[in-house]
Formats: sequence, structure tokens, C-alpha cells
Amino acid sequence: MNLLRIELHKILPYRTVWVILAIYAVLMLLVLYSSSQVTINGRELGYDMYKLPGFWQTLTYTASFFNLLFGILVIVLATDEYTFRTFRQQVIDGLSKAELVLAKFYVILGLGSLSTIFLLILGLYFGLLYTSDLTPAAAFGKIDALAYYFVQATGYMALALFFGILIKKSGLSIIAFIAYAQVIEPLVHLRLPDSADKFMPVKVFKSLTPMPGQNLLDQLTTPTELLTQPYAATLAIGYIALLLLFSYAILKIRDL
Amino acid sequence: MHPIAKQSGNAIFVKADNGRAKYKHAPVVDVLDIDNLSKRYGSIQAVDRLSLKVAQGSIYGILGPNGSGKTTTLGMVLDVVRPGSGTYTWFGQPISKETKHRVGALLETPNFYPYLTARKNLQIVADVKGSNYKSILQVLNLVGLEQRKHTTFKGFSLGMKQRLAIAAALLNNPEVLVLDEPTNGLDPEGIAEVRELILKIAAEGKTIILASHLLDEVEKVCTHVAVLQHGQLRAEGRVDTILSAKDQLIIGADSIPEVVEVLRKLPFVEAFQPERDTVHVTLHEGFGSKELNKAMFEAGVTLSRLTLHRKSLEAQFLEIIKSENR
Repeated sequence: MNLLRIELHKILPYRTVWVILAIYAVLMLLVLYSSSQVTINGRELGYDMYKLPGFWQTLTYTASFFNLLFGILVIVLATDEYTFRTFRQQVIDGLSKAELVLAKFYVILGLGSLSTIFLLILGLYFGLLYTSDLTPAAAFGKIDALAYYFVQATGYMALALFFGILIKKSGLSIIAFIAYAQVIEPLVHLRLPDSADKFMPVKVFKSLTPMPGQNLLDQLTTPTELLTQPYAATLAIGYIALLLLFSYAILKIRDL
Repeated sequence: MHPIAKQSGNAIFVKADNGRAKYKHAPVVDVLDIDNLSKRYGSIQAVDRLSLKVAQGSIYGILGPNGSGKTTTLGMVLDVVRPGSGTYTWFGQPISKETKHRVGALLETPNFYPYLTARKNLQIVADVKGSNYKSILQVLNLVGLEQRKHTTFKGFSLGMKQRLAIAAALLNNPEVLVLDEPTNGLDPEGIAEVRELILKIAAEGKTIILASHLLDEVEKVCTHVAVLQHGQLRAEGRVDTILSAKDQLIIGADSIPEVVEVLRKLPFVEAFQPERDTVHVTLHEGFGSKELNKAMFEAGVTLSRLTLHRKSLEAQFLEIIKSENR
């Protein structure tokens, strides 16, 4: 827990962290408000969107787009340590390279928890306001969506940490991270059959928060093959472990 | 810790006493033992089969021009640069969290979070080293930054940053202090302050390893020195033997051959070199121009010129490097 305390000392007074978190909160609220006005088939989605338990899925799916923001935050925090040469100083002062990675993993878990709690509050607030037939079963029926979201956020941030530690420079790492998650892997997906690309990391992370109404869409077009959430979660945890291990290996080999 | 060292206020005395006191009382323990350490960056051999031992209580200077491998060597023994080959031990053990906590180090630059205050930065260092926060004010006091503890690191001048780094290295009361170019980029006042600080810390009985490209710094501060060039060890030993600034006398007379004849017979003449109408003479320890003048007069030679010529440290340093460079 000493590691967590050290990280908190660094993060709490850091304005960049608060700015990014504020951007996330504001954007999330904005999207939630405005999406109820989206019109599908000539009919406004309206307040039905906020109905529990279906809202948990909508909420986590919406939030999944902001994982990039958390990734950027993690990259900033990791590359800062290179820029300020504090990785080097902390190894001199007694931390092992494994502890450097572990400390950042704690930060990732912390940010993931923070975001998940934020979603829980949002879900309960909107849900309780707009769900008419409110029973505990309805309210918490699909709340496991939050747990899957947590794994997903952790996964994206672990990927970001890997890029940050590998590349060292914040700008380049952010570009590489976004390029990989949004361009390179999707391009590979196009080339590969679904049966193969569904095991690729970003696709695995994505299948943790499937799009609401995906079933409907699948009936109209060729269905996209996705892993089931529990299976995807297991694989995602494996990827997270692998990314942390790679990050550690890079630090281990490299001169600080 | 060591009363003899503590009593002496004068810098030169601290140096001499500190060294001697340790050898007399405590058995010689090697704080750092480097064995055949090498590191190559591409085609450049940064450190080449370097071996040296740093005894407890010494102020050990690692002297060499820029790019001679000083920082790389320290980086390797501080666990941030992977050695190409060779080994090293701290206190007779391989490096570990425990040995790291006994060493305070400042490598190349002061490394802190720019947006955090001096005190916050030191809290992080204290947490990393597993020491308590109580000593933070103490070390800030020692380096004269207690008034600026709430200033963010980025607002510090270079000298203050350097002193904060020394303060950080002193947290946890380490037995050994490793300082890499601690006066680099400081103004003369800052340099004097940092040197005074080093001597103050050394007087408490701590071992200090100091890398520097400044000859005069090593000569003023250190008890022992290792001279590095192109990653190789050129000379090692006590500062007063390696960098003894022996004075030279320049004498002139009507007949140089006669002078040379007399010099050959004088027992206290270490070396001499005749020039066109002068002779450069080096004498043994404890002898000066008076003895030489007297001896010449007794031999019936009247000197027309007798001047003292201080040999610069730079000249000696170049000699060390040249003589070992064949």
C-alpha cells in the first residue's frame, strides 16, 4: 500500500489529472443528455433510454468510448516519469522495476474504480428518475455490466501503459495508442475472419460492452461474431497480465 | 559519529583526519567494490574493465573529462544502467532494496516532479526509501531550503534544485552519499555552498563518492581519487599522492653546466631539467628554495635567478593521462 500512497502523492496535486477527469465527467453527462433526443425510425429515443435494467448496458457502452481518455491519462502519468527522470531516481532510491509497474497498475485500478463508481451513480440517478416499474430486480438486473466495464477500462489503460512505457514520449505514445486501438486493429479485423479476430485484444475489450440492440442489428446484417462477456472478461484479464508483464520486461531490459 | 573528524572545522583537516581516523580505528570495510565492470554503447566502450574499491569513510573522487564513463559507472552500480559485464557489491553484498536504502544518490540531474513543492517531493522520496517524514525538515534545514519548502520544484533556481537533490539523498540518513557532478552549472557562490555542504556531511563520518570533471574540486574535497579516461582507470589512490602539486624551482646562473654538476650531488633534489639558460628543479618534500640557495652558495655557485613555479593541477592531470596512454 506504500506504492499506492506514493502514487497518490503524485496524482492528487496534479492538475492535468483533474482536468482530464473533469472532461470525462462533463462529456459523459452531455452525451447521456443529448442521446435521449436521438431519433430512430422517426421516433425519439426519449426517456425510455434511461430505463433500468437496460440502461446499464447503454451506460457502459457509452462510457466505453471514453476509455481512450483514461488511456491518455495513464500515458501522461507514465511518460512523465521518464521526462522527470523519476523512474530512474526511484529505482536508485530503492524501488524495483516490478514495483514501478505495479504502482502504475494500482493507479489503473484506482481510475477504473473511480469511473465505475461514477457510472453507478449516473445509472442509479437517471434510472431511478425514469424507470416507472421499479423493482430491485429491475434496478440491479444487469448491473454486472459495470463489472465488465471495469475490466474493459483496466484493459485499455493497461494497453496505454504499455505504449507509454515502450515509447517514453507522451505525444508519440498517445498517437500510437489511439492508432492501434482505433485504426490498426480494426483494419486487421477487416482482413481476418471474425472467428479469428474476436480474440484480438481491442476486440476482446470491446465485446465487454456490446452495443445495445446488437441482436437487432445482427438480424438485419451479417452478424458480427463476438465473444460472450464472461469469456471475453477472462481473456481480457489474460491480456492485462500480459501487457503488464511486457511493460515490466521493457523496464527490466532498458537503461533508465 | 567520528569525534576526530567532527572537531575539525577546517576543510583540509576534515579531509586528512577523516581519512586517517577511519584507517586507525575501524577495520577497512569496502563500501563499494567494483570488479571488472564494462559497458558498451554501440561502437563506444563507455566503461572498460573498471575495478575499484571505495573504503568506508573516504571521500572518493571519480575524476575524468566529460564522456569518460563516470556517470555510466555510477549508473551501473546504482541499478539504472545494465552492466555489459562485470560485477559490483555494496557493503559486500549484491545490490538490493536493503543496500539501496543505505545509499543516497544524485545521478546527473536533480530528478523531481516539477509541479510539486519541495516538501511534497521529499515526502515521495521518504516513502520510496521507507523513512519517516520527520527528517524532511531536518534535511531541508541542512541544505538551507527550509524557507522554500512550499515552493514548487519548477520555481527553483538550478542551485536550489541541486541542493534539494542533496537533501533528498540525505533522507533516511544513508551511510554513503553518491554525488554526480554536484556543482555542475552552479555559479561560484553555489559551488562554494555545495562544497561546504559536502565537507559538512563528510565530517559526520559518511562515505562520499563524488564524480567530477573538475580537478580542483576533487583536489579540494576528496581523500581518494580514481582518474578515468575513455572508460579506463588511469590512476587510483590517495589524492595527496596522485595529485601532489609539487612545486618546481627555476634557477639561473652564469654557468649552467656548473649548476647541473652541483644538482647531481645534492641529496634533496628529486629531479631537474636543464634548459637554455635556466634549470627546472623539483625538490623532495620539506625542502625549498632556501635550502637550494644555501647549497649552491656553499658549492661556490651564485644564482642569478631563483623563482618558485607552481605546477598546475591541470598539467599533472594531463601528465597522468599521457603517461598511462601509451
